[in-house]
Amino acid sequence: MNKKTTLQKFIGVWNTKTIVGVAIGAALFGVLMNFGSIRIFTNTSLTTAMIVPVIVGGLFGPVPAAVAAGVGNVIADLISGSGFWFDWSIGNAVLGLFIGALPLYGAYIEDGIFEIKHMVIYAILCIVGCAISFGLVTPVFTYLWYGGELTITLYQSVVGSISNIIVLLVIGIPVLKVLASRNSRGQNLKAE
Amino acid sequence: MNNFIINLIPGETFLHKLSGTTKVRLFFVLIVYLIMSFDLRLIVPVLILGIIGLISLKPKLKSVRYIIIFVVVMNLVNILLYYLANPHLGMLYFGHETIWFQFTDHYIVTYEEVWFLLSRFLKMIASFLISLDFILAITPSEFAAGLYSCKVPYKICTIVEMAFRYIPDIARDYQNIKVSMQARGVELDPKKTGLIKRIKQNILILIPLVITSFDRIGNISNAMDLRGFGKGKKRSYYSEHGETPNDRKVKVVYILLGIFVVAYIIGRVFFNVSEVWYPF
Repeated sequence: MNKKTTLQKFIGVWNTKTIVGVAIGAALFGVLMNFGSIRIFTNTSLTTAMIVPVIVGGLFGPVPAAVAAGVGNVIADLISGSGFWFDWSIGNAVLGLFIGALPLYGAYIEDGIFEIKHMVIYAILCIVGCAISFGLVTPVFTYLWYGGELTITLYQSVVGSISNIIVLLVIGIPVLKVLASRNSRGQNLKAE
Repeated sequence: MNNFIINLIPGETFLHKLSGTTKVRLFFVLIVYLIMSFDLRLIVPVLILGIIGLISLKPKLKSVRYIIIFVVVMNLVNILLYYLANPHLGMLYFGHETIWFQFTDHYIVTYEEVWFLLSRFLKMIASFLISLDFILAITPSEFAAGLYSCKVPYKICTIVEMAFRYIPDIARDYQNIKVSMQARGVELDPKKTGLIKRIKQNILILIPLVITSFDRIGNISNAMDLRGFGKGKKRSYYSEHGETPNDRKVKVVYILLGIFVVAYIIGRVFFNVSEVWYPF
Protein backbone atom coordinates (compact mmCIF):
# COMPACT_ATOMS: atom_id res chain seq x y z
CA MET A 1 0.00 0.00 0.00
CA ASN A 2 2.72 2.42 0.94
CA LYS A 3 6.08 1.89 -0.65
CA LYS A 4 7.46 5.35 -0.03
CA THR A 5 10.79 5.85 1.70
CA THR A 6 11.01 7.74 4.98
CA LEU A 7 12.43 10.80 3.25
CA GLN A 8 9.58 10.84 0.77
CA LYS A 9 7.10 10.54 3.62
CA PHE A 10 8.86 13.40 5.35
CA ILE A 11 8.85 15.81 2.42
CA GLY A 12 5.51 14.67 1.05
CA VAL A 13 4.57 14.33 -2.58
CA TRP A 14 4.22 17.83 -3.96
CA ASN A 15 1.51 17.20 -6.52
CA THR A 16 -1.55 19.35 -7.15
CA LYS A 17 -3.52 17.59 -4.43
CA THR A 18 -0.92 18.38 -1.78
CA ILE A 19 -0.71 22.01 -2.87
CA VAL A 20 -4.48 22.40 -2.64
CA GLY A 21 -4.52 20.62 0.72
CA VAL A 22 -1.81 22.84 2.14
CA ALA A 23 -3.57 25.95 0.81
CA ILE A 24 -6.91 24.95 2.34
CA GLY A 25 -5.11 24.07 5.57
CA ALA A 26 -3.43 27.47 5.68
CA ALA A 27 -6.74 29.24 5.07
CA LEU A 28 -8.42 27.14 7.76
CA PHE A 29 -5.57 27.91 10.14
CA GLY A 30 -5.94 31.64 9.46
CA VAL A 31 -9.70 31.60 9.98
CA LEU A 32 -9.61 29.49 13.16
CA MET A 33 -6.79 31.61 14.58
CA ASN A 34 -9.08 34.63 14.33
CA PHE A 35 -12.59 33.32 14.86
CA GLY A 36 -12.20 30.05 16.75
CA SER A 37 -9.91 31.28 19.49
CA ILE A 38 -10.23 32.40 23.08
CA ARG A 39 -7.77 35.08 24.14
CA ILE A 40 -5.88 34.25 27.33
CA PHE A 41 -2.74 36.39 27.21
CA THR A 42 -1.27 39.18 25.13
CA ASN A 43 -1.19 37.94 21.52
CA THR A 44 -1.67 34.39 22.79
CA SER A 45 -4.89 32.50 22.69
CA LEU A 46 -6.35 29.09 23.23
CA THR A 47 -7.00 28.25 19.62
CA THR A 48 -8.33 25.24 17.80
CA ALA A 49 -6.21 26.26 14.80
CA MET A 50 -3.36 24.00 15.90
CA ILE A 51 -5.46 20.97 14.91
CA VAL A 52 -5.17 21.93 11.23
CA PRO A 53 -1.45 21.15 10.76
CA VAL A 54 -2.06 17.80 12.45
CA ILE A 55 -4.66 16.90 9.86
CA VAL A 56 -2.60 18.25 6.95
CA GLY A 57 0.31 16.22 8.32
CA GLY A 58 -1.85 13.12 8.59
CA LEU A 59 -2.92 13.46 4.98
CA PHE A 60 0.25 14.71 3.28
CA GLY A 61 3.26 14.53 5.63
CA PRO A 62 5.28 16.75 7.98
CA VAL A 63 6.72 19.31 5.54
CA PRO A 64 3.31 20.19 4.05
CA ALA A 65 2.04 20.51 7.63
CA ALA A 66 4.87 22.91 8.45
CA VAL A 67 4.18 25.01 5.33
CA ALA A 68 0.46 25.09 6.16
CA ALA A 69 1.17 26.26 9.73
CA GLY A 70 3.73 28.88 8.67
CA VAL A 71 1.73 30.36 5.79
CA GLY A 72 -1.44 30.08 7.87
CA ASN A 73 0.12 32.09 10.68
CA VAL A 74 1.28 34.84 8.32
CA ILE A 75 -2.23 35.00 6.85
CA ALA A 76 -3.75 35.05 10.33
CA ASP A 77 -1.48 38.01 11.16
CA LEU A 78 -2.49 39.69 7.92
CA ILE A 79 -6.23 39.54 8.61
CA SER A 80 -6.19 39.92 12.40
CA GLY A 81 -4.32 43.23 12.63
CA SER A 82 -2.20 42.64 15.71
CA GLY A 83 1.11 43.16 13.96
CA PHE A 84 3.44 40.74 12.21
CA TRP A 85 5.33 38.24 14.30
CA PHE A 86 7.38 36.16 11.91
CA ASP A 87 9.24 34.56 14.83
CA TRP A 88 5.96 32.92 15.83
CA SER A 89 5.22 31.89 12.26
CA ILE A 90 8.54 30.05 12.16
CA GLY A 91 7.88 28.55 15.59
CA ASN A 92 4.51 27.31 14.42
CA ALA A 93 6.05 25.91 11.25
CA VAL A 94 8.58 23.94 13.31
CA LEU A 95 5.78 22.73 15.56
CA GLY A 96 3.89 21.68 12.42
CA LEU A 97 6.88 19.54 11.48
CA PHE A 98 6.55 17.63 14.76
CA ILE A 99 2.81 17.29 15.10
CA GLY A 100 2.37 16.59 11.40
CA ALA A 101 4.72 13.61 11.50
CA LEU A 102 1.83 11.12 11.68
CA PRO A 103 2.72 9.13 8.53
CA LEU A 104 6.30 8.66 9.75
CA TYR A 105 5.19 6.37 12.56
CA GLY A 106 2.48 4.63 10.64
CA ALA A 107 -0.70 6.51 11.40
CA TYR A 108 -2.51 6.98 8.09
CA ILE A 109 -5.61 9.07 8.67
CA GLU A 110 -6.63 8.66 5.03
CA ASP A 111 -6.76 4.87 5.44
CA GLY A 112 -8.32 4.98 8.88
CA ILE A 113 -5.27 3.79 10.82
CA PHE A 114 -4.92 5.54 14.18
CA GLU A 115 -4.40 3.27 17.16
CA ILE A 116 -3.40 3.49 20.81
CA LYS A 117 0.35 3.34 20.15
CA HIS A 118 0.02 6.13 17.57
CA MET A 119 -1.80 8.22 20.17
CA VAL A 120 1.07 7.78 22.63
CA ILE A 121 3.72 8.73 20.04
CA TYR A 122 1.57 11.64 18.94
CA ALA A 123 1.24 12.91 22.53
CA ILE A 124 5.00 12.69 23.12
CA LEU A 125 5.74 14.47 19.85
CA CYS A 126 3.27 17.25 20.73
CA ILE A 127 5.02 17.94 24.02
CA VAL A 128 8.54 17.70 22.57
CA GLY A 129 7.52 19.80 19.57
CA CYS A 130 6.02 22.56 21.70
CA ALA A 131 9.10 22.61 23.92
CA ILE A 132 11.51 22.86 20.99
CA SER A 133 9.55 25.25 18.78
CA PHE A 134 8.29 27.66 21.43
CA GLY A 135 11.04 27.17 23.98
CA LEU A 136 13.98 27.35 21.56
CA VAL A 137 13.18 28.34 17.97
CA THR A 138 10.80 31.24 18.59
CA PRO A 139 12.91 32.93 21.32
CA VAL A 140 16.02 32.66 19.13
CA PHE A 141 14.29 34.41 16.24
CA THR A 142 12.67 36.90 18.60
CA TYR A 143 16.11 37.79 19.88
CA LEU A 144 17.52 38.11 16.37
CA TRP A 145 14.68 40.16 14.89
CA TYR A 146 12.86 41.95 17.67
CA GLY A 147 15.56 42.31 20.33
CA GLY A 148 13.99 43.56 23.53
CA GLU A 149 10.81 41.56 23.24
CA LEU A 150 12.49 38.52 24.78
CA THR A 151 10.93 38.62 28.27
CA ILE A 152 7.42 38.87 26.94
CA THR A 153 8.11 36.14 24.41
CA LEU A 154 9.19 33.82 27.18
CA TYR A 155 5.94 34.46 29.04
CA GLN A 156 4.03 33.94 25.80
CA SER A 157 5.99 30.78 25.10
CA VAL A 158 5.06 29.20 28.39
CA VAL A 159 1.39 30.13 28.10
CA GLY A 160 1.30 29.28 24.40
CA SER A 161 2.99 25.91 24.83
CA ILE A 162 0.69 24.86 27.64
CA SER A 163 -2.46 25.94 25.80
CA ASN A 164 -1.25 24.32 22.57
CA ILE A 165 -0.44 21.05 24.32
CA ILE A 166 -3.90 21.05 25.93
CA VAL A 167 -5.57 21.74 22.59
CA LEU A 168 -3.45 19.21 20.71
CA LEU A 169 -4.13 16.44 23.20
CA VAL A 170 -7.65 17.11 24.42
CA ILE A 171 -9.10 18.12 21.06
CA GLY A 172 -6.59 16.63 18.65
CA ILE A 173 -6.86 12.97 19.62
CA PRO A 174 -10.68 12.80 19.46
CA VAL A 175 -10.74 14.69 16.15
CA LEU A 176 -8.13 12.37 14.64
CA LYS A 177 -10.09 9.39 15.93
CA VAL A 178 -13.29 10.70 14.31
CA LEU A 179 -11.53 11.40 11.00
CA ALA A 180 -9.82 8.00 11.05
CA SER A 181 -13.04 6.10 11.75
CA ARG A 182 -14.72 8.10 8.98
CA ASN A 183 -12.08 6.86 6.54
CA SER A 184 -11.76 3.31 7.88
CA ARG A 185 -13.17 1.50 4.89
CA GLY A 186 -11.77 -1.76 3.61
CA GLN A 187 -9.56 -2.25 6.64
CA ASN A 188 -10.19 -5.96 7.11
CA LEU A 189 -9.74 -6.90 3.48
CA LYS A 190 -6.76 -9.02 2.52
CA ALA A 191 -4.94 -9.19 -0.79
CA GLU A 192 -4.98 -12.66 -2.24
CA MET B 1 -19.35 40.17 7.94
CA ASN B 2 -16.26 38.63 6.35
CA ASN B 3 -16.87 39.22 2.69
CA PHE B 4 -15.33 42.66 2.58
CA ILE B 5 -11.81 41.52 3.45
CA ILE B 6 -10.77 39.91 0.20
CA ASN B 7 -11.84 41.25 -3.16
CA LEU B 8 -11.51 39.20 -6.29
CA ILE B 9 -12.08 41.95 -8.85
CA PRO B 10 -9.54 44.81 -9.10
CA GLY B 11 -10.93 48.24 -8.25
CA GLU B 12 -10.50 51.63 -9.85
CA THR B 13 -8.39 53.76 -7.47
CA PHE B 14 -4.69 54.64 -7.60
CA LEU B 15 -3.58 51.82 -5.30
CA HIS B 16 -5.81 49.25 -7.00
CA LYS B 17 -4.33 50.06 -10.39
CA LEU B 18 -0.72 49.37 -9.40
CA SER B 19 0.67 46.06 -10.58
CA GLY B 20 0.86 43.07 -8.21
CA THR B 21 4.65 43.25 -8.14
CA THR B 22 4.62 46.86 -6.95
CA LYS B 23 2.00 46.22 -4.27
CA VAL B 24 3.74 43.18 -2.82
CA ARG B 25 7.21 44.75 -2.79
CA LEU B 26 5.97 48.01 -1.28
CA PHE B 27 4.09 46.06 1.37
CA PHE B 28 7.12 43.95 2.32
CA VAL B 29 9.37 46.98 2.61
CA LEU B 30 6.80 48.76 4.78
CA ILE B 31 6.32 45.75 7.06
CA VAL B 32 10.06 45.35 7.63
CA TYR B 33 10.23 49.10 8.19
CA LEU B 34 7.53 48.86 10.88
CA ILE B 35 9.02 45.77 12.55
CA MET B 36 12.51 47.21 12.85
CA SER B 37 11.82 50.08 15.19
CA PHE B 38 9.76 51.55 18.02
CA ASP B 39 10.77 55.07 17.03
CA LEU B 40 7.67 57.27 16.89
CA ARG B 41 9.33 59.60 14.39
CA LEU B 42 9.44 56.68 11.97
CA ILE B 43 6.05 55.18 12.82
CA VAL B 44 3.80 58.25 12.65
CA PRO B 45 4.45 59.06 8.95
CA VAL B 46 3.52 55.50 7.99
CA LEU B 47 0.45 55.68 10.22
CA ILE B 48 -0.68 58.85 8.39
CA LEU B 49 0.11 57.26 5.02
CA GLY B 50 -1.94 54.22 6.04
CA ILE B 51 -4.94 56.40 6.88
CA ILE B 52 -4.61 58.30 3.57
CA GLY B 53 -4.29 55.00 1.72
CA LEU B 54 -7.38 53.60 3.43
CA ILE B 55 -9.45 56.68 2.53
CA SER B 56 -8.20 56.64 -1.06
CA LEU B 57 -9.31 53.02 -1.47
CA LYS B 58 -12.94 54.00 -0.79
CA PRO B 59 -13.86 50.82 1.14
CA LYS B 60 -17.36 49.99 2.32
CA LEU B 61 -17.48 52.05 5.47
CA LYS B 62 -19.71 49.79 7.51
CA SER B 63 -17.57 46.65 7.37
CA VAL B 64 -14.26 48.51 7.72
CA ARG B 65 -15.54 50.45 10.71
CA TYR B 66 -16.42 47.19 12.44
CA ILE B 67 -12.96 45.68 11.98
CA ILE B 68 -11.17 48.91 12.95
CA ILE B 69 -13.07 49.13 16.22
CA PHE B 70 -12.41 45.46 16.88
CA VAL B 71 -8.67 45.78 16.25
CA VAL B 72 -8.28 48.96 18.30
CA VAL B 73 -10.07 47.39 21.29
CA MET B 74 -8.08 44.17 20.96
CA ASN B 75 -4.79 46.05 20.80
CA LEU B 76 -5.75 48.10 23.85
CA VAL B 77 -6.41 44.87 25.76
CA ASN B 78 -3.08 43.53 24.51
CA ILE B 79 -1.28 46.64 25.70
CA LEU B 80 -2.91 46.31 29.13
CA LEU B 81 -1.86 42.67 29.41
CA TYR B 82 1.57 43.64 28.19
CA TYR B 83 1.82 46.18 30.97
CA LEU B 84 0.63 43.67 33.57
CA ALA B 85 3.25 41.17 32.39
CA ASN B 86 6.12 43.60 32.78
CA PRO B 87 5.57 47.09 34.23
CA HIS B 88 9.26 48.00 34.06
CA LEU B 89 9.65 48.24 30.30
CA GLY B 90 10.79 51.86 30.58
CA MET B 91 13.84 50.67 32.45
CA LEU B 92 14.53 48.02 29.83
CA TYR B 93 14.27 50.31 26.83
CA PHE B 94 15.35 53.72 28.08
CA GLY B 95 17.53 52.90 31.06
CA HIS B 96 15.78 55.32 33.37
CA GLU B 97 12.36 55.65 34.98
CA THR B 98 10.41 58.64 36.24
CA ILE B 99 7.52 57.61 38.45
CA TRP B 100 4.20 59.18 37.62
CA PHE B 101 2.14 57.32 40.20
CA GLN B 102 2.16 53.86 41.69
CA PHE B 103 -0.37 51.17 42.63
CA THR B 104 1.93 48.79 44.49
CA ASP B 105 5.69 48.38 44.72
CA HIS B 106 5.73 46.34 41.53
CA TYR B 107 2.99 48.04 39.53
CA ILE B 108 4.24 51.55 38.99
CA VAL B 109 3.30 53.82 36.11
CA THR B 110 6.25 55.70 34.69
CA TYR B 111 6.36 58.29 31.91
CA GLU B 112 8.77 56.10 29.99
CA GLU B 113 6.44 53.14 30.25
CA VAL B 114 3.47 55.14 28.98
CA TRP B 115 5.58 56.51 26.13
CA PHE B 116 6.77 53.06 25.16
CA LEU B 117 3.28 51.57 25.28
CA LEU B 118 2.01 54.46 23.16
CA SER B 119 4.75 53.81 20.59
CA ARG B 120 3.92 50.14 20.62
CA PHE B 121 0.20 50.78 20.22
CA LEU B 122 0.72 53.16 17.30
CA LYS B 123 3.13 50.69 15.73
CA MET B 124 0.51 47.94 15.86
CA ILE B 125 -2.19 50.25 14.49
CA ALA B 126 0.14 51.38 11.69
CA SER B 127 0.99 47.82 10.70
CA PHE B 128 -2.71 46.94 10.87
CA LEU B 129 -3.59 49.85 8.57
CA ILE B 130 -0.86 48.86 6.13
CA SER B 131 -2.08 45.27 5.99
CA LEU B 132 -5.70 46.41 5.69
CA ASP B 133 -4.74 48.68 2.77
CA PHE B 134 -2.82 45.81 1.24
CA ILE B 135 -5.71 43.36 1.54
CA LEU B 136 -8.22 45.87 0.22
CA ALA B 137 -5.98 46.83 -2.70
CA ILE B 138 -4.91 43.39 -3.90
CA THR B 139 -6.60 40.37 -5.43
CA PRO B 140 -5.33 36.85 -4.66
CA SER B 141 -4.05 36.44 -8.19
CA GLU B 142 -2.06 39.68 -8.06
CA PHE B 143 -0.66 38.58 -4.71
CA ALA B 144 0.68 35.40 -6.29
CA ALA B 145 2.06 37.34 -9.26
CA GLY B 146 3.83 39.74 -6.91
CA LEU B 147 5.34 36.93 -4.86
CA TYR B 148 6.46 35.20 -8.06
CA SER B 149 8.25 38.35 -9.13
CA CYS B 150 10.22 38.13 -5.85
CA LYS B 151 11.55 34.72 -6.98
CA VAL B 152 9.28 32.65 -4.74
CA PRO B 153 8.66 29.21 -6.35
CA TYR B 154 5.28 29.31 -8.06
CA LYS B 155 3.90 26.35 -6.13
CA ILE B 156 4.36 28.34 -2.91
CA CYS B 157 2.75 31.34 -4.65
CA THR B 158 -0.22 29.15 -5.51
CA ILE B 159 -0.53 28.02 -1.89
CA VAL B 160 -0.64 31.61 -0.67
CA GLU B 161 -3.02 32.63 -3.44
CA MET B 162 -5.44 29.78 -2.79
CA ALA B 163 -5.32 30.17 0.98
CA PHE B 164 -6.08 33.84 0.51
CA ARG B 165 -8.83 33.02 -1.98
CA TYR B 166 -10.51 30.46 0.29
CA ILE B 167 -10.61 32.49 3.50
CA PRO B 168 -14.00 34.09 2.69
CA ASP B 169 -15.42 30.67 1.78
CA ILE B 170 -14.18 29.08 4.97
CA ALA B 171 -15.29 32.03 7.09
CA ARG B 172 -18.75 31.71 5.51
CA ASP B 173 -18.83 27.97 6.23
CA TYR B 174 -17.82 28.74 9.80
CA GLN B 175 -20.71 31.19 10.18
CA ASN B 176 -23.15 28.74 8.60
CA ILE B 177 -22.11 25.90 10.89
CA LYS B 178 -22.29 28.21 13.88
CA VAL B 179 -25.80 29.35 12.98
CA SER B 180 -27.01 25.80 12.38
CA MET B 181 -25.52 24.75 15.72
CA GLN B 182 -27.38 27.60 17.38
CA ALA B 183 -30.57 26.51 15.63
CA ARG B 184 -30.12 23.13 17.30
CA GLY B 185 -29.95 24.83 20.67
CA VAL B 186 -26.20 25.07 21.30
CA GLU B 187 -25.47 28.27 23.21
CA LEU B 188 -22.47 30.01 21.60
CA ASP B 189 -22.79 33.49 23.06
CA PRO B 190 -19.52 34.21 24.95
CA LYS B 191 -21.43 36.24 27.56
CA LYS B 192 -23.68 33.36 28.55
CA THR B 193 -21.28 30.42 28.70
CA GLY B 194 -18.13 29.59 30.63
CA LEU B 195 -14.66 28.93 29.28
CA ILE B 196 -14.76 25.12 29.33
CA LYS B 197 -18.15 25.05 27.65
CA ARG B 198 -17.02 27.45 24.96
CA ILE B 199 -14.03 25.25 24.18
CA LYS B 200 -16.34 22.24 23.83
CA GLN B 201 -18.61 24.17 21.50
CA ASN B 202 -15.67 25.28 19.41
CA ILE B 203 -14.96 21.59 18.82
CA LEU B 204 -18.56 21.06 17.73
CA ILE B 205 -17.94 23.64 15.01
CA LEU B 206 -14.44 22.42 14.24
CA ILE B 207 -15.21 18.87 13.10
CA PRO B 208 -17.79 19.69 10.39
CA LEU B 209 -15.66 22.65 9.29
CA VAL B 210 -12.58 20.49 8.86
CA ILE B 211 -14.49 17.78 7.02
CA THR B 212 -16.24 20.16 4.58
CA SER B 213 -13.00 22.06 3.93
CA PHE B 214 -10.87 19.02 3.26
CA ASP B 215 -13.59 17.41 1.15
CA ARG B 216 -13.03 20.22 -1.35
CA ILE B 217 -9.45 19.16 -2.04
CA GLY B 218 -10.40 16.48 -4.57
CA ASN B 219 -12.59 18.77 -6.67
CA ILE B 220 -10.17 21.66 -6.72
CA SER B 221 -7.10 19.60 -7.48
CA ASN B 222 -8.87 17.72 -10.27
CA ALA B 223 -9.95 21.01 -11.80
CA MET B 224 -6.40 22.32 -11.59
CA ASP B 225 -4.92 19.15 -13.07
CA LEU B 226 -7.36 19.32 -15.96
CA ARG B 227 -6.09 22.83 -16.70
CA GLY B 228 -2.51 21.60 -16.71
CA PHE B 229 -1.31 23.04 -13.41
CA GLY B 230 2.27 22.17 -12.43
CA LYS B 231 3.39 20.93 -15.84
CA GLY B 232 5.84 23.72 -16.68
CA LYS B 233 8.83 25.02 -14.76
CA LYS B 234 7.70 28.63 -14.97
CA ARG B 235 4.38 30.32 -15.23
CA SER B 236 3.00 33.73 -16.01
CA TYR B 237 0.04 35.48 -14.47
CA TYR B 238 -2.94 36.81 -16.37
CA SER B 239 -3.57 39.50 -13.76
CA GLU B 240 -0.06 40.92 -14.02
CA HIS B 241 0.39 43.93 -16.29
CA GLY B 242 3.46 45.90 -17.33
CA GLU B 243 4.77 48.93 -15.45
CA THR B 244 2.59 52.00 -15.72
CA PRO B 245 3.98 55.49 -14.96
CA ASN B 246 2.47 55.22 -11.46
CA ASP B 247 4.26 51.92 -10.91
CA ARG B 248 7.55 53.60 -11.76
CA LYS B 249 6.92 56.40 -9.26
CA VAL B 250 6.09 53.92 -6.48
CA LYS B 251 9.11 51.84 -7.48
CA VAL B 252 11.40 54.80 -6.75
CA VAL B 253 9.68 55.21 -3.36
CA TYR B 254 10.07 51.59 -2.30
CA ILE B 255 13.66 51.34 -3.50
CA LEU B 256 14.63 54.44 -1.50
CA LEU B 257 12.69 53.12 1.51
CA GLY B 258 14.39 49.76 1.13
CA ILE B 259 17.83 51.38 1.15
CA PHE B 260 16.86 53.32 4.28
CA VAL B 261 15.62 50.13 5.97
CA VAL B 262 18.87 48.31 5.20
CA ALA B 263 20.93 51.28 6.42
CA TYR B 264 18.89 51.51 9.62
CA ILE B 265 19.21 47.80 10.36
CA ILE B 266 22.98 47.94 9.75
CA GLY B 267 23.04 50.93 12.11
CA ARG B 268 21.09 48.98 14.72
CA VAL B 269 23.34 45.95 14.51
CA PHE B 270 26.79 47.53 14.18
CA PHE B 271 26.61 51.15 15.32
CA ASN B 272 24.28 50.95 18.29
CA VAL B 273 21.50 53.17 16.90
CA SER B 274 18.67 53.11 19.45
CA GLU B 275 15.40 51.47 18.42
CA VAL B 276 13.40 53.80 20.67
CA TRP B 277 13.12 57.57 20.86
CA TYR B 278 12.37 59.45 24.05
CA PRO B 279 12.35 63.22 23.70
CA PHE B 280 11.91 64.27 27.33
